[in-house]
Amino acid sequence: MKEFVVNASFALYALITLGGAVWAVTAESLVRALLGLTISLMGVAALYVLIAAPFVALMQILIYVGAVVVLIFFAIMLTRAQAEAEEARPGDRGRLLRSGAVGLAVAGLLAAACLKHGPALVGTAAEVSPAQLGETFLGQYLLGFEVISVVLFAAMAGAVLLAFERRKGA
Amino acid sequence: MNALSLYQLVAFGLLGVGIFGLLARRSLVGMLISVELMLNGAGLAVVAAGQLTPMPDALAQSTTLFVMGLAAAESTLVLAIVYVVRGRFGSASADAVSELKG
Repeated sequence: MKEFVVNASFALYALITLGGAVWAVTAESLVRALLGLTISLMGVAALYVLIAAPFVALMQILIYVGAVVVLIFFAIMLTRAQAEAEEARPGDRGRLLRSGAVGLAVAGLLAAACLKHGPALVGTAAEVSPAQLGETFLGQYLLGFEVISVVLFAAMAGAVLLAFERRKGA
Repeated sequence: MNALSLYQLVAFGLLGVGIFGLLARRSLVGMLISVELMLNGAGLAVVAAGQLTPMPDALAQSTTLFVMGLAAAESTLVLAIVYVVRGRFGSASADAVSELKG
């Protein structure tokens, strides 16, 4: 019974994730594409919970759904990208076919390699407490932790600089 | 088929859909959405590999948290770049930003 519940919820979450992803890349309206992305991100968060990583799931919702999606929404609004909807053009069918072939080829190749040479599994997934994660960040990987702060600062300073420069020129 | 393979198939599904979107979309914001999908697939694969193999679990989860931080930085910058492109070329479409012939 327990196994059935786990399998059924995995299938449901995988469906939500992949369905949201497909909607995100096929929707004509960018706001709808963003909604598809949000659904896909929530599906991935549910998959994290299912694999006993609740902290990562919470961070996924906090960072991706809370910050990145809002940022992309701002990008849509500020650039009025929504107004210029993607109209179908004559050469589009070939372009879609080529893009699909590339995506399928890359993912299929990696999937085949993974299925053929999969590593050994442990019985159950153990939960990692946030305290342990904190020890990892502030212990062995302190340099990476500091560098990502610098990267975030540089990205935000760069964003402000880019946006201000345009206003000065206008 | 074991649990790790199932998780990795979902991750590869996200990767394939993301590559498709990156190549098929015309607008820069649509391409950004596809990149986020691919990053999510990467994070899912890493956490699944960490949880289900003898590799240290905390290492895999902190890797995914790093990826999330980088994704936030990346989308901030892309937002600013799209804004500048929109101001300079009058459109946020990838086709507008082709000044070179060819």
